[in-house]
Amino acid sequence: MVRLSERTRESLTAYTFISPFFILFAIFGLYPILFTFYLSFFKWNALGPMTYNGFNNFKFVLTDSTFWTSFTNTLLINVMGTIPQLICALLLAVVLNSALLKGKQIFRVIYFLPNITSIVAVTLIFSVLFSSEGVATWIATSIFGMDMESISWRAGFWGPKIAIATMVFWRWLGYNMIIYLAGLQSIPGDLYEAAKIDGANAMVRLTQITLPLMKPFIIFTVLMSTIGGLQLFTEPYVYFSQSGSATTPKTGITMVIYLYSEAFRTNFFGTAAATAVVLFFLTIVFSLVNTFITNRLGGDQ
Amino acid sequence: MKATKKWLGLALSLVLVFVLAACGNSNNGNNTSNSSSNTGTNTNTSSNTDSSNTSKDEVVNLTFWTLGSNGYDVLVEEWNKANPNIQVTVQNTGDQTEHHNNLLTALSANSGAPDLFHLEIAFVDKFLENPEKFYNLNDLGAADIKDNYLDWKWKQVSSADGSYQLGIPTDIGPTAAYYRTDLAEAAGLPSDPDGFSAAISTWDKLIEVAKAYTASTGKPFVDSTDLLYNALRDQSNGEIYFAQADGSLIIEQNAQVKKAFDITVQGIQEGWIGSYGLWSPEWYNAMNTDGFVVSFSPAWMGGTFKGNAPDTAGKWQIAQLPEGAGNWGGAFVTIPKESKYPEQAYAFASWLLSKENQLKSFQSNGLFPSIPSLYNDEAFTSYTDEYFSGQQTGVAFGKAAERVSPVYYGSLHDTADGLVKAGLRNVLEIKADPQEEWNNAIAEIKKLTAR
Repeated sequence: MVRLSERTRESLTAYTFISPFFILFAIFGLYPILFTFYLSFFKWNALGPMTYNGFNNFKFVLTDSTFWTSFTNTLLINVMGTIPQLICALLLAVVLNSALLKGKQIFRVIYFLPNITSIVAVTLIFSVLFSSEGVATWIATSIFGMDMESISWRAGFWGPKIAIATMVFWRWLGYNMIIYLAGLQSIPGDLYEAAKIDGANAMVRLTQITLPLMKPFIIFTVLMSTIGGLQLFTEPYVYFSQSGSATTPKTGITMVIYLYSEAFRTNFFGTAAATAVVLFFLTIVFSLVNTFITNRLGGDQ
Repeated sequence: MKATKKWLGLALSLVLVFVLAACGNSNNGNNTSNSSSNTGTNTNTSSNTDSSNTSKDEVVNLTFWTLGSNGYDVLVEEWNKANPNIQVTVQNTGDQTEHHNNLLTALSANSGAPDLFHLEIAFVDKFLENPEKFYNLNDLGAADIKDNYLDWKWKQVSSADGSYQLGIPTDIGPTAAYYRTDLAEAAGLPSDPDGFSAAISTWDKLIEVAKAYTASTGKPFVDSTDLLYNALRDQSNGEIYFAQADGSLIIEQNAQVKKAFDITVQGIQEGWIGSYGLWSPEWYNAMNTDGFVVSFSPAWMGGTFKGNAPDTAGKWQIAQLPEGAGNWGGAFVTIPKESKYPEQAYAFASWLLSKENQLKSFQSNGLFPSIPSLYNDEAFTSYTDEYFSGQQTGVAFGKAAERVSPVYYGSLHDTADGLVKAGLRNVLEIKADPQEEWNNAIAEIKKLTAR
């Protein structure tokens, strides 16, 4: 019988307890990821044999104008949907955190509700709002005085992007607000008291105390929004399938829809896997860049 | 010491549980005939040997994935009552892309496929390229019933030499002109089916009639770009986008596709095509009000009309398409290789698609039978439908069915078709330049074959 030291035994126990996660992760997480990398070098229609295709899948994806359209679409929708949303979420959190407001609990629930509703249901409702008889059309025509012809919520360049960005905004506003709220509540109140005594007004307190101390939370939300935004799929997919066609028009195609079409509409699983790999690296790059920028924004304390 | 042993034992068993579970899975996946559990293997062999007369103590459960509204659930209930030893469970899906993707992933993983699958014609070639994933129905006795069905329909799912049979035909989709008798009459057009068919007997005549109607009423004559395009496209001679011989792209050589595109564009620009997207709420609303006069739709669309346009009941009749007929859709029932009970599944499928039951599916859901001997059958021809002003719909679609010539699709048909229609939608919605959209669509379709 091998004699195990106390230390080995302890770590063995610990590993045993965490092993279910790692085993499950290896089967359902790691294996598909590695297989995707492997698959990206092959030609495969999911039923027949796989044939080696070298870097041709990547070459195809990276030279396909539709892919680059999906790339710019994804970025534009994200910029339009995320930046205003994070700013609004922060302001809302500050308001909810202030002592002035009554019924905070109710507001928190109301703002968080969109996040736990079904995306498909939400998209269907927004499809109605953005139909030719919808509220959005009414606002655009009668308040902003645009003519019906120039706004096409499904086919124009900006229309679909505005519609989808609005859905993203609506859905994630409450989620980010809750995170900011948690952040705000972790800031000790005596800092504000001290600042008040020193004569700092509300604006100064916001920019000099709240924002710098909120930085970790802001970085977290920016990171999560970046990763989530690059994977935008359900909203545009459901929104455009409303028009009853098996293809998503170019104006609304996102990178994951491109990937999905490759795999499940045309059955080129190799190029779909290559798209996933490209998306993987793009996500890393954008996460790093955005974290870097956000880190710089607040200045250093 | 004891404690160590105990922990080690626990750790080992935990690891084993997961590893074994994983192994069990992959085994099951690689050779499905060897079911993962021992009991499974036993039932498997026994049922394979004497399945024609199922042993009395054993109940076989079959799953059947069906597509769209077809009334098969009612027939399945009937079957289940008559066959207590073979119980069929229906799982219905409305979205056809989703329906076939579910099968694709199940077949690819070698796990989760049903015993019976309702396969739509537009997706057939994808699966026909991989026959090893399905039972050859000729081995199960399909060769004996071959002559009951339309020859061209049967051959759509046969191998070139006829030795392999992927499925049994369900319905076909002869396309005709659903038209509003009251609106036609108000516009001074003949309101009886023969007269109306004569008034639109060529596409040029249709364009003239449509233009005149739109000029006087300000309303569209034809309902949607997709359906007009389909009707014209399906009149192609034998092939549409891809060649049957070698699968090469022939869209630029097929004058009928270009004609379909051009006439649809003309309709959009002259305003006689409605802007209603196919399957959209606006389209349903238009058919329930006075939104359009004609819809070029296949026989199975009758159920859609009845379900979505109750207010216009009795105001519709069926006339013939200009310049010949077309066929859109129709399906087959197939038996994926994963099924452990192919013989029972075949027994059910051949019952479901028999002459009597195809007649029932026609009467309940308008599924046009693929069994030609029904076309002259009294029960079939005498069937009238109050929704269609008491017209003998079997006879009306039968006329269209007689003129149908089968076409080859190819595994990329659905995608290529979607790209052309996306171009048409751009012409409709953002007034894009048609020539540019046509060129774009061709370029995109060429990319499909370049991957």
